[in-house]
Order: sequence, then structure tokens, then C-alpha cells
Amino acid sequence: MRVLSTVRFTLLRLMRNYIVLLLLLAVPIALLTVFSVILSGMVDEAGRPYFDQTALTMVLAFQLFGGSTVMSYLNEDLFARNRERMTVAPFNRTLYAFSILLAGSAFSFLLGAAIMAYTRLVLGLVWANWGWTLYLIALMAVLSSIVCVIFVCGVKSFSTAERLSEVYGVGFVLLAGLFFPMPQHAVFEFMGSYGNPLTLSVGAVRAVEIGNWNEAWFQANIVLAAIGFLFPVMLVMGRRRLR
Amino acid sequence: MTLASMQSVLKRYGSCAALDYIDLEIHEGEIVGLLGPNGAGKTTLIQALTGILPVDQGRISLFGDSRNPFSDANKQKLGLVTQEIAVFEELTAKEGLEFFAGIYGLRREEKKKRVAEALEFVGLSAYANKVPHKFSGGMKRRLNIACALTHRPRLLIMDEPTVGIDPQSRNHILESVQKLREQGTTILYTTHCMEEVQEIASRVVILDQGQVVKEGTVQQLIETVRHEETIIFDVADPLGIPLRQVESIAGVSQVSVSGSRITVISAAGAGNLDRILSVVQQHSGVLGIQADKPNLEDVFLTLTGKQLRDREGSR
Ligand SMILES: Nc1ncnc2c1ncn2[C@@H]1O[C@H](COP(=O)(O)OP(=O)(O)OP(=O)(O)O)[C@@H](O)[C@H]1O
Ligand SMILES: [Mg+2]
Repeated sequence: MRVLSTVRFTLLRLMRNYIVLLLLLAVPIALLTVFSVILSGMVDEAGRPYFDQTALTMVLAFQLFGGSTVMSYLNEDLFARNRERMTVAPFNRTLYAFSILLAGSAFSFLLGAAIMAYTRLVLGLVWANWGWTLYLIALMAVLSSIVCVIFVCGVKSFSTAERLSEVYGVGFVLLAGLFFPMPQHAVFEFMGSYGNPLTLSVGAVRAVEIGNWNEAWFQANIVLAAIGFLFPVMLVMGRRRLR
Repeated sequence: MTLASMQSVLKRYGSCAALDYIDLEIHEGEIVGLLGPNGAGKTTLIQALTGILPVDQGRISLFGDSRNPFSDANKQKLGLVTQEIAVFEELTAKEGLEFFAGIYGLRREEKKKRVAEALEFVGLSAYANKVPHKFSGGMKRRLNIACALTHRPRLLIMDEPTVGIDPQSRNHILESVQKLREQGTTILYTTHCMEEVQEIASRVVILDQGQVVKEGTVQQLIETVRHEETIIFDVADPLGIPLRQVESIAGVSQVSVSGSRITVISAAGAGNLDRILSVVQQHSGVLGIQADKPNLEDVFLTLTGKQLRDREGSR
């Protein structure tokens, strides 16, 4: 299949995209290193190190931005600079868009895993359940990519789509109440709990830490359901935009 | 054989017709020079012909197929060099070409070979493993051309492939185009540069304001303005020349003076030059005479009333 031959190059492009590597790998690693010093020795009421939670939240929060590369490659290849060349080529552009979606998500996932590995190997953090955490990283990566595809296909202007994706990322970080408490209001409470993929995925990992698998699956499945719901939306948007 | 054709193709942008009922045919083995000033509709024509842009009206046929001209089988035989440079900044020249070779279905050994050939062809072999980020404008242009070559298209469409590059690169590109034609590729070559068309095109189509204003071989087009000749006299005493008297000579349509130069536009042949010269000589010493043969530039000027060349503010 012709699209398969492009995957290698999409991955190469991702790996040489130094700005993305800086933002999604170097920045979180730098922040975590700083936090590990600041928070060393501090524990919460339950006696768990503060840094553990910070690291978990940070790893998952950066996945909210993982779709940005998918978005910019789709735009560049199908709607902007390379559009004409791709349009006259005898290959399936829808499949190509999918390959970018998959490659971008996988890349974001790998960066998340790399950050985890760094915290383990360099900062000595012990992750309770690697597999489960990676599963949630994967869900977050896919969700972010799908959301970004919806943005880039849904709005005409790419810079608007970019802003929307930033709102998605920053918005959920803020709503999760990580930096300052949100006002007491039903909407904010919902968006800070079961309506927030970041809160949900953090919650799912922490539920496993205390052995509550029911709650863990429940929260993870809400994220999965969001993917299931947004996937067809993405297909419709994509079809509309690609012809 | 006709490889591509357009019949009464109309494309409007708002109230402006970018393509105003265009008829065009491209035959196997030709280099068709599509000539027109900025905004004439050249790019729009190419976009319509390649299926990038849906048209409002008319019929387009590629490789004899007008029912489904943009099928994958037809796309496979088509190559497009875009006007805007479109290369992957993060991929090396070689990788970028491999990407395109791949989506045209080339595999392994053949892909490697064709990519190397394409790089060689545009003179970038030495830069195969460099990313275009640091390439000069001309090198990017050449890479942009190579992207359309790896699959060896039967019909190659080039949209201003030489814009904004130095004469050396330009010559290289022109030679390459001729080489491609010798290898059997049919080419639609878009430009607003006369010399290029005169040099390589076997047939010229002049486009202005979305319409084909003239087409034919370079020779045929020049014939159409052959009845006029521009004669330039270098004279010692330009003020002494009675311009009225020169103007009244039968066949003379225009006389102008600039510095020591008198420019006369007149019907060609029929001893006109003699008559004009004798009048001029009566009133001043003549230091030099130069009679300009008409060229495509004049054809264009006559047909559209416009200068073809890129000048500031010509857009
Ligand atoms: N997307 C568009 N929307 C509105 N008008 C357009 C659009 N694209 C082209 N036009 C108009 O159509 C006309 C033809 O444009 P086109 O780009 O085909 O010209 P061109 O001959 O390729 O010019 P150039 O030499 O500058 O490349 C122009 O008047 C241009 O303003
Ligand atoms: Mg153009």
C-alpha cells in the first residue's frame, strides 16, 4: 500500500521536529527535574510523596498537547503547502491522514513514556503500575490527536485551529485546578472532574495505586468513550474537508 | 495523440472569470509554452487541468478520458511542478523524493534508482543528504521540479519553474526540460518569460485575462506582427529632423525621439526604410541604423497591449 511507504517519513519528520521535542520532551523533563528538588521530602496526608503526583499529572498534562504535530502536518500536507502535490498524486489521502494521526499519536505516546523513564531512571521515582499508566498516556495521546484533527478540519483558518488546540490543552490544565482552585460552580466542578480527560486519567492511575480497579476502569473508560464519540465526528469533519 | 484537453472551461472567482471559456489541447511530444502576464490565469488553468480546482463549466479530458479524467491511473501519468515551492523542510532531498516516489507506487530498487536519477537530472546529487532548509532559492526550485519526476510522467506540467532564480539555474532547468522532451515527455510549460518560450516551446499559447488570445508556433505568432518593423536611427542632430514629414511617409505609424535616437515604427518591406532614411539624411548626419525584427515580446504587446515582463506594480 502506497500510504505505508510514507509512515517512515512521517516519523522522520516528527523526530526532526526540534520545537516539538523541546516543548513536549525537554520542557517537561526540565520542569520535573526542578520539581523533584523543590518537592523532595514533602508528602501528602496519605504519606505519598508530592512529587509522585506532580510527575503523574505532568506526564499526562503534556499529552493534551500531543495532537499539535498531527494538526500541523495535516494542514501542511493536505490543506496548505503540499496540498496541490498531494491532490494530483494517485494515493488515498484519507488513509494518509490516518497514518499521520497514528504516527503523531504514537510519537506523543513515546515522548510520554520517555518522560516516565527519565523520572524512574534519573529522578528515582517509583511508578506503581507502568502498564496502566502507559495505557492512559496512550488514551490521552489519541484523544488529543482526534480533537486536533477535528479542529483543523472543522475551521477554515489554521491559526484559529491552533488557538483552539491550545485552548483545549491549557483549558483542561486550568480546569483540573492544578494551579489555582476553580470557582464553586456545577459546570466548573464537572469540568474539573468527570468532564476533564486530564483529571480522569490522573484519577484512573491514582485509583490503581490504592487498588481500586473499579474506579480506575470507570474513569479510563470515560476517556475511551470520549474517543469513541469523537472519532465519528472526526470522520465526518474530515470527509467534508477533504472534498 | 491528444494527452490533455479543455473545452469551454469556465472558472469564476466571484464576478471575475479567471478562466473565460478556455479551449486547449496538448498533443503528445509537444512542449507547449503557456505564456501570460501576472494574473492571466495560468495557475488557475493548471489547477483546473489537474483536478485540483473544480471548474464551473466545461469539459476536461486527460489521456483521452473525459468521464473520469482524474482517476488514479491518469494521475499516475501526470507530473506537476507547482508554482509555490513545496518541499519537506525536515526531510533531506533524497528522502523527500523517496516520499513522492513511494506515493506513486515505486518500490525498493526502482525507487532508489529513480530518485538518484531525478537528483542527477536537476543537478542536486551532491546535496542528496542535505535538508532543503539551507538550500538556495534556485536549489529549492530544482528540488521542487525533481519531486514531479521520479515516476516519469507522460505529461509534465510546470508552473513557472524558473521564477526567482539565477541565470545559471535557469539554463540548467531549460536544458533539462528539453532533455525530458527528447526522452518522450510531453510538457506544458508556464512562464511569463519570452526568451524561455522562444527557446524551448514547440507551440505557444498566449493567455490574458482568462482567455486564449493567440496560439501557434513561435514562427507563426511572429508572422502575425511581421508587417511591422521598428527602425532606430542614431542621429547627430535629432532636433533638426522634421518629425511630421517622417510621419507622413506612407506606412509609418509612429515616430518618437529620445535623446539622439529616433524610433520609427513602420510597415515592413516595400522600400520604406529607403524613403525614411532619405528624409532623415536630408536633415542630419546618421550615425547608426538598427532595424528590429519582431519577436514574441512584440506579439504579446500587440495582442494584449501589455508588457509581458515582470515590472514593479504590474500586478
Ligand atoms: N483563490 C482565489 N480567489 C479569488 N481570486 C483568485 C484566486 N486565485 C486566483 N484568483 C484570481 O484569478 C486570476 C488568475 O490568477 P492566476 O493565479 O491563475 O494567475 P497567473 O497567471 O498564474 O499569475 P502569476 O503569473 O502571478 O502566477 C487573478 O486575477 C487572481 O486574482
Ligand atoms: Mg501563477
